Amino acid sequence: MHQVEATVNGATRRAEVSPETTLLSTLRDSWGLTGSKLGCDVGDCGACTVLVDGLSVNSCLLLAVQVNGREVVTIEGLGGFEYLHRLQTAFERLSSFQCGFCAPGMIISAKALLDENPAPTEPEIREALAGNLCRCTGYTKVIDAITEICRDRAVAVEAPA
Amino acid sequence: MPRKVTEEKQAEAQQLLEAPPATHLPAVAPDSLPKAPALTPEVNKQTPAVGQRVTRPDIRTHITGTTRYIDDLSFPGMLHVKILRSAHAHARILSINVDALHKMPGVVATLTGEEVPVNSFGSTYQDQPVLAVDRVRHRGDGIVAVAAETEQQALEALDAVKVDYEPLPAVFDPLEAMDPDAPKIHRIDNVYASKVIMRGDVDRGFEESDQIFERRYTTPMIEHVPLEPFAAIALWEPDGQLHVYSTNGRITLGRADLARTLSLPMNRIRLTATIIGGNFGGKNEIRTEPIVALLAKKSGRPVKAVYTRQEEFIASTTRHPLVMDYKTGIANDGRLLARSVKLVLDGGAYASWSETTVGKAAILAAGPYRIPNVRVEGRAVYTNKTVTGAMRGFGAPQVAFAYESQMDEIAYSLGIDPLEIRLLNGFEEGSISPTGQVLQAVALKETLLMAAKRSRWREGDL
Repeated sequence: MHQVEATVNGATRRAEVSPETTLLSTLRDSWGLTGSKLGCDVGDCGACTVLVDGLSVNSCLLLAVQVNGREVVTIEGLGGFEYLHRLQTAFERLSSFQCGFCAPGMIISAKALLDENPAPTEPEIREALAGNLCRCTGYTKVIDAITEICRDRAVAVEAPA
Repeated sequence: MPRKVTEEKQAEAQQLLEAPPATHLPAVAPDSLPKAPALTPEVNKQTPAVGQRVTRPDIRTHITGTTRYIDDLSFPGMLHVKILRSAHAHARILSINVDALHKMPGVVATLTGEEVPVNSFGSTYQDQPVLAVDRVRHRGDGIVAVAAETEQQALEALDAVKVDYEPLPAVFDPLEAMDPDAPKIHRIDNVYASKVIMRGDVDRGFEESDQIFERRYTTPMIEHVPLEPFAAIALWEPDGQLHVYSTNGRITLGRADLARTLSLPMNRIRLTATIIGGNFGGKNEIRTEPIVALLAKKSGRPVKAVYTRQEEFIASTTRHPLVMDYKTGIANDGRLLARSVKLVLDGGAYASWSETTVGKAAILAAGPYRIPNVRVEGRAVYTNKTVTGAMRGFGAPQVAFAYESQMDEIAYSLGIDPLEIRLLNGFEEGSISPTGQVLQAVALKETLLMAAKRSRWREGDL
């Protein structure tokens, strides 16, 4: 068994895991953070996407021991039920998801993109979300939501408060 | 003497109640949560539903990761199930040895088909075993289920199961499966469901036709691929009631099927459908529910089974592949005079929803066109492939691909606009379908014209 200690959504979390334990199952089973989903278990669907030191990763492919001493952000770290992140507000306004299973991973990937590039073009948005599959064909409204945020922010930057 | 509650304590308690929990759902939905609009339409008044932007009432939990799907549920002491699946597409099972399984680390209980009270299920014919006992008919057939402390232990334990097979000749092509000499997959004939629809005299229709178009169209097998894999959790209440959580989308039918396999009265079973991460028809019948129920009974603990992505492909249902032979007779001006259709549905190893699918495919096979003479023959056939069952449209998309392809071919051959041949032959108010239904509120041509206009189908007036 191995000791893992990481900063998860701003708080220090510890777990004792067997070597083959993935970050995803540690998040879900040891720390009760069930927002990240298991869809394919082979890194294709992106439902398990989280941020590790600011980079988006498939947590089903990363071993828990690999995040020792690092910083992890999951969907639970973005916004609470009453205090939404601006990305979540945009996704809610456009009802971008149907069954919702892909939503947490999709939103985390979008956050990783905007953290790195605050004004992405539509091809850049598509590229950044290429690793997140949606089976209910919700891509259009997902891309619309991110585009809307970028546009709103561009307006806000241009117009001094 | 009642305890005195100080004002301070009261305020503290109040604060605790009001504080929003960081990551959990509040006990009461806050006012800011979007709610479904009240729908109280007036009689004979059109509701303003079309063209409005609607915020989904369930979107807030989706975007915060707080929607509780089945895999987000867990119960104290819960075990995890993995299922050993067949190594052959078609084989006789000579022996199943699970002795070594019990010595594997973490293993608590095992299950074979012989332990299932009624080891068969199915939506139309009960021809599918919960766990195969003496024969496997496709690679997705489960043989042994094991419940262990962790998923990893259950997976590793399966290596300890020994199954001896005698491989049998398999058949993968539905047309070959119809041959009288083809390997028989069940005791009955490989053709297990059929539907014939006749209207007018199709032979005379062809004789009177100026031109005849013939072609074979085929469609492939398609898996639903919901992002959330199929899953079930079973726990027995202390009073002997069985409670099963499941991703099943048809819980009333599922409960009846589950009661049948377990030989339990239906009123002792509670089946709870959890919020589903995509269904598309693939979660419309029971799969692992009897297995988790029996393993929970044997172990005395809650039991959960989640399909792997591979199982989702091989051990769930898929969309029927179709072989469709179309023959259409027309007059030189483009009017359809006769159409005969032969459909062969690849049903896979078990019947599932094939009877429904062959019916719907046959009913719709001639297309939305006024054709005086129609003959449709549909057959569902067993093969040693993944089971085909319900999927959006039940056979309708496959035949639509065929008849619309043929309409295009006819139009191009005659040198007329594909839109015109549809307007010439399309259903109108009061048209009679091949099954004799008099159609009402038919807006086919208006819809086609609107679509052509909006998509700028051609230049000029439309």
